[in-house]
Amino acid sequence: MERKKTIDIIVSCLLLAAALAAVAMVTPGYLAMRKPDTIRKGPGVSRVTLLSEYFPGVKGTVGDSEVYILDSGKPGGSALILGGTHGNEPAGYMTAILFVENARPQAGRLFVIPRANASAATHTDPMEGTPRSFTIDAASGKRSFRFGSRATNPIDQWPDPDIYIHASSGQQLSGSETRNLNRAYPGRQDGTFTEKVAFAITALILKEGVDVTVDLHEASPEYPVINAIVAHERAMPVASAAILDLEFEDITMGLEPSPKSLHGLTHRELGDATKTLAILMEDTNPSQGRLRGRTSEALILEGKDELYVRAQKLGRLFVPFDEKGWPLSTRVGRHMAGLEAIFGAFSAQNPDKPLVVDGMPPYEELVAGNFGKFL
Amino acid sequence: MKTQARFLMLAALVLGLAMSASAQAYNLKSPIAGKPVFLTSAGQSADIEMVKVLLDRSKIPYKTDGQAKGGALKAALSKSLLIAIGGSSKGLGAAGISTEAELARVKEVIAEARKLGLKIIGVHVGGEARRGELSDAFIMAVVPLCDYVIVVAEGNKDGLFTKLCAQAKIPLDSVDKISKVVEPLTKSFQ
Repeated sequence: MERKKTIDIIVSCLLLAAALAAVAMVTPGYLAMRKPDTIRKGPGVSRVTLLSEYFPGVKGTVGDSEVYILDSGKPGGSALILGGTHGNEPAGYMTAILFVENARPQAGRLFVIPRANASAATHTDPMEGTPRSFTIDAASGKRSFRFGSRATNPIDQWPDPDIYIHASSGQQLSGSETRNLNRAYPGRQDGTFTEKVAFAITALILKEGVDVTVDLHEASPEYPVINAIVAHERAMPVASAAILDLEFEDITMGLEPSPKSLHGLTHRELGDATKTLAILMEDTNPSQGRLRGRTSEALILEGKDELYVRAQKLGRLFVPFDEKGWPLSTRVGRHMAGLEAIFGAFSAQNPDKPLVVDGMPPYEELVAGNFGKFL
Repeated sequence: MKTQARFLMLAALVLGLAMSASAQAYNLKSPIAGKPVFLTSAGQSADIEMVKVLLDRSKIPYKTDGQAKGGALKAALSKSLLIAIGGSSKGLGAAGISTEAELARVKEVIAEARKLGLKIIGVHVGGEARRGELSDAFIMAVVPLCDYVIVVAEGNKDGLFTKLCAQAKIPLDSVDKISKVVEPLTKSFQ
């Protein structure tokens, strides 16, 4: 009896040790998700600040994201670029990072927030099997970037209600949307973590008098609003002129109006709550779609998926999809070309407020796959 | 001398071919529409915004109301009607209009144009994405009532515009890009 008890204690201790060893093994990877990716200050960056400069309510939290300011020092318009609203849409934040590291403004001011919801980059979605990061062969060596979640990390905001009620409109959505930054605008200073981040971004736009706001997103190939610009009604002239300019470069982009009845989104709320021309751009991201096959780093980077090729043949998709896939480099190229076209259209329609930017990585180079050259 | 003449003939032939290739021949042979034009939508899609940019680039004066009703053309002193054809469920929803009500509204505006003796031009710039059950309802209702139609080729892959225009004996011009609508559009105005 005594011997059996001793064996039980030894087995229990061994199991505990094994569990602790397993925890010790995975902890560094888990904690590494909280360490932000490196973003280098490019030649055009004049100042880096934090969102708490505009709303102290986010100070000291993960939501206190960096704001990169690229001021030409010459009069002109102003624009805000939002990347990383959704952490699982890498073309959005990679375009913002590439912009910060390469762009040189010649007229006007640019504000770039590559991690609009920094908390969303600190975790992945359960049951999705997505890699934590992807690595790019950059000119400066190998660089890794986080692949995150669509929503705020539950560590920063928990629990979700059964129903999320958008504060200013009363719109009801499923409870998990309470952690979706792009359902939280214009935000609340006494709201949830996500609403406070949204409030800080709205405060930046108001304080700086931002003329144009572009929120960079991606969509799954089976989602109807894809490879498109969604624009607030006041932004329609700029958005439609930009789309025509893109067409000259053989870049097809659809135009969708921002629905007045869908609340909490940048293209609706920022346009209503501020004077900014609110625009959202969508690209094609197979790594976030429901019909995808194996979810791997290769899928994020190369965007190839034979199940999507089959889905295209069955007429289930809203974008062309063949064996070439939708590489991240191409998607970033489309976003970058879109930004250039939007700035061009805004400048043409507002000659007293030019927005001129040099050094943006050219579309042709990005589509050719020379993504790493600019990192 | 003979060789020189042959060379000149060959050069002239090449030049002629190059010139004919660069200038697209349109089915509308002479201008039909007066200025200013009144622009409205058939289907409440955002394509009306694209058409506004095309009119701006064509330097064609216009007035616009995507939800215009009968009487709008007279009030705006318009000399022709341009209709951006393409249905959008989002657009109809945002405008609070049903498909049936939108069809009735467009027909009312077309009836006013006919009464005033104005020419009607239909334009479809949305390509393949602006086809399907909803858009096709507007295409089939509006195209036969136009005097001239311009379509971006991708939207006519199945030949629907070709068939409707042939049946109603309406000149149809097809271009491969939205930006190329500017040329036939400009040529259609006096």
